[in-house]
Amino acid sequence: MDKITCQIYEDEIKSLEEEIKLLTEKYEDSQQESTFFSEEEILMSIKIFETACRGHLSSSNLKAQLESLEKDLSFIMKFTGIQFTSHSKKTVEKTRNRTVQKHKLSGNCHALSFKVEFQLLEMRNKENVSAVVSDLSIVMESGEDLDVSKFVSSTEKHGSLLTFFRSLSSYGEWYEHRRCTFLHFK
Amino acid sequence: GLLAHLEVLEADAREASVKQEEEEKLEALKARAQKLRLQRDQLLAKVSLQQKGHPEDAGATAAPAPPSAQDVLEWKLKSLKSTLQILYLTGISGKLTPRGVCFCISTAYQGTYLDSYYLELLSEPQVRIRRHSIPIFIPLEQISKKYLQTDIRHFLSLLSNHLNAYVGRRYQADQLQEHFSEQIKGTLQRNSLCNLLVFNYDVSARSKTFPFRARLLYRDLCCSLPTEVTISCTPEAPASLVKVAGTHSDLFHRVALHEAFRSFSTAE
Repeated sequence: MDKITCQIYEDEIKSLEEEIKLLTEKYEDSQQESTFFSEEEILMSIKIFETACRGHLSSSNLKAQLESLEKDLSFIMKFTGIQFTSHSKKTVEKTRNRTVQKHKLSGNCHALSFKVEFQLLEMRNKENVSAVVSDLSIVMESGEDLDVSKFVSSTEKHGSLLTFFRSLSSYGEWYEHRRCTFLHFK
Repeated sequence: GLLAHLEVLEADAREASVKQEEEEKLEALKARAQKLRLQRDQLLAKVSLQQKGHPEDAGATAAPAPPSAQDVLEWKLKSLKSTLQILYLTGISGKLTPRGVCFCISTAYQGTYLDSYYLELLSEPQVRIRRHSIPIFIPLEQISKKYLQTDIRHFLSLLSNHLNAYVGRRYQADQLQEHFSEQIKGTLQRNSLCNLLVFNYDVSARSKTFPFRARLLYRDLCCSLPTEVTISCTPEAPASLVKVAGTHSDLFHRVALHEAFRSFSTAE
């Protein structure tokens, strides 16, 4: 009798711990996603933070982490040519195995600027994470160009976000190549 | 007499101690469950308030303390992390390593992201591959010989095209096998690169015969549509189907495999 009661409590505890984890994440995600600080506020905070915590190990850790991530992001954006100027997301659903988020991404690739919105569904099973993009909406600066608008609407229809970015990057490479070629002939 | 009596007392004492342990354990579990229940309820209330009292409600409750510099920086850190987390959606992402870069090539079929492949490059004394997860049937060596030293972007671009095309072909074959298995005789025959597919099929899911035989060859490894399609009819098939085979051939050239089969079902 006692063994069974023990098991019941243990199961309840496990389920509560998981619920608490998800609720905490939900709360923190919501806080994060409804906040925004400008680059100036961030630069100012760095200055304040440095003077206030001079010498403290924890402070240098935060700053070091920030610098490391900025470096990684800056490297890959420079490499692919796809520069993100802003990114915001909203978590619509989050359970143990499934996350649904809505993303808004703006940026440019050489001369072309874009604004992309989509829904991302990520599902986790034992071995891997699968991702599906849906509700894709793409707005491009040179949207009046017939070829561009045909490309955009076909890409949107199939949710082909990867194709969109790869094509953008390809175009950017070609554009750069052409520009360098022209400069060479000047 | 006495020894046996002592043994009985000892056993009783042990039993009592075990029972006490169990009771204590149960009490501890009960207390923990109660504590967690309380914590969970508090969180529920907190989240519910957060959902209701959103920006539109600013000023309705006492103004929260202004964010500290640390709060701002922690926000920025989380924000950067979340952008880095979705970089794979662009197709090529990567991280700097002490001696070079580790690239990640993502693949997708339309909106469904499929496998990711990794490639770690060292930069000194010259660019070379340290290790990778590229399948052996992708011509990595050929592509790297040509472009790795001179144009890394093009190298990765080309590799991405090969990988995406391979994954796209594989996806179509998998979809066909999964959703249209009744229209295919046995299983689809394919090679590792998924650029040669052979199968017997019918347009209807209800028929017991498979009068058509398809051979799809994808000579362009960067393409997920076939370059050569051969549709023939089995000897037992009625002569009327030969013309139909011709239209199928055209269809398989233009449309993804599983989409082609989907169009058979709707045409029925």
